[in-house]
Amino acid sequence: MRALSLFRPSLRRLLAACVLGIAAADACAELVVVVSSRSTVAAISADQVAAIFLGHASRFPDGAPAVAVDQQLGAPQRDSFYRELTGKSPALLKAHWSKMVFTGRGQPPREADGDAGVRRLVAANPSMIGYIDRDALDASVRAVLALP
Amino acid sequence: MVQQSIPGRLPVALATCALACLPLCANAGAAPGEAAAPAWKLSGFGTLGAVYASSRSADFTASVLRADGAGHTRAWSPDVDSRLGAQLDLHRGAWSGVLQVVSEQRVDGSYRPQLEWANVKYQLTPDIAVRAGRIALPVFLGAESRKVGYTIPWVRTPVEVYGSLPISSSDGLDATWRWHTGPVQHATQAFAGRTDQDLHNGLRIKADNIVGLSHSIERGAFSARLSAAGARLNTAIGEELFAILPAFGPAGNALAGRYAIRDKRVSMVSAGMGIDPGAWFVSAECGRTRTDSLLGGGTSAYVGVGLRRGAFTPYLGYAQVRADVPTRDPGLPLDGLPPPLAAVAGQVNAGINGLLATIPVQSTWSAGLRWDAAANIALKLQLERVRPRDGTRGALINDQPDFRRDHAVHVASVALDFVF
Repeated sequence: MRALSLFRPSLRRLLAACVLGIAAADACAELVVVVSSRSTVAAISADQVAAIFLGHASRFPDGAPAVAVDQQLGAPQRDSFYRELTGKSPALLKAHWSKMVFTGRGQPPREADGDAGVRRLVAANPSMIGYIDRDALDASVRAVLALP
Repeated sequence: MVQQSIPGRLPVALATCALACLPLCANAGAAPGEAAAPAWKLSGFGTLGAVYASSRSADFTASVLRADGAGHTRAWSPDVDSRLGAQLDLHRGAWSGVLQVVSEQRVDGSYRPQLEWANVKYQLTPDIAVRAGRIALPVFLGAESRKVGYTIPWVRTPVEVYGSLPISSSDGLDATWRWHTGPVQHATQAFAGRTDQDLHNGLRIKADNIVGLSHSIERGAFSARLSAAGARLNTAIGEELFAILPAFGPAGNALAGRYAIRDKRVSMVSAGMGIDPGAWFVSAECGRTRTDSLLGGGTSAYVGVGLRRGAFTPYLGYAQVRADVPTRDPGLPLDGLPPPLAAVAGQVNAGINGLLATIPVQSTWSAGLRWDAAANIALKLQLERVRPRDGTRGALINDQPDFRRDHAVHVASVALDFVF
């Protein structure tokens, strides 16, 4: 018992450090959903973004056509985007798209290389929608939703 | 997956359909500013499976359209779940085409590949698409994707619900309209067509006037689907019996009218829902099939739940099907028939009841574990207690004279699912 109670404070410190560490990492990697600065889309809900990226919807809330752009497979932005938005792991997402592809319902979004690649594609096309680190925002794109 | 520009050689049927149309309106439905370069993509899926069944006097299978399975034919069978599928996707602007072949065990025991999907799609607007060609019927929660094991948590879709669909594809037209009400996404699909499937040795199953409607709803983690389909069915199953029946006068004709599969109306309706926030999931479905023939009709349902812990997904499920029609028939009255005729009538009655006993009444408890072992690969282990009921053979096939009805069969399955 005594030995255990000796360990306790350090365990608690360790836990606190972990929690803080995770919180800090999250703060660094805050993601924003972006559209072209020329787009008329003002705001969009998390459910609507999820529907576009999962292939269930093909329009923005205002009716304009929407085309999703993904980060590349294995990119940390991609994994946390889908985890936050849909609760889906990369394997579940693969299962989802396998179901869509093998029933002829659709193909997964095209991929762009990193924040810069997504930003370039989205900036050039008002119908595109992507997600990047908040730090990568510039005047060419506009954030329409922030993911914690 | 391989992605490239269109090369010189393509499967002829699809190429002629798709390419003939492509130059006409190459850019019509492409997203503004998006290049409409023709492209093709090759992808595939498959399952390597082995199934053990405790019964020695009947075979456990995933579908009645199989030659054999685990149990009677062999204790461990690779044929229940193993299959390989390949798909070619073509895309140009608003036009796209899909060609999918699947190789799995058939009624004749061969693995001759079958054309599962072959259609050309035109995206009229971002929300409306029309297709011409072969589609898998969008009935039940996921009848179209049931062969892609990787897309489902369990080893196979419940045989009680999916194992006895009288028809599973349609050659014709279909249209899908996507719309939304607030945060709820809808997809409404209407289809019409026909099908003519060769079971084996010239025994065919034909369905005309297939029409149906399927409606899917998605809202966040919640999804649901309602579907209904009908058709007129023709097949020669049991025809040798129905050829004799008219010789027995009105009673014989009545039996033939009740059970022969000649221009019989079939219908399938179902309602299913799922909740999947990621860390856990539940899905449930019930459906009803009617054929007004010796294929019978039944009400089926299942419930499945699972937890996701990292790469592991333990799950539990229960499924059942019950017959909505009698699975026995007194048949021809034998009283007053001269002995030789009575003997024939007795054989006819036995034949009819033999066929009626194949209408499944069954329940299954299952427990399993899915392990997403690597990218695009899932390994599954599943244990089941399958109980045929009401004196039927359930969803089992190749039942032998010593088959003990109403006794549970224990089934163990391992499956390796992959997509590429």
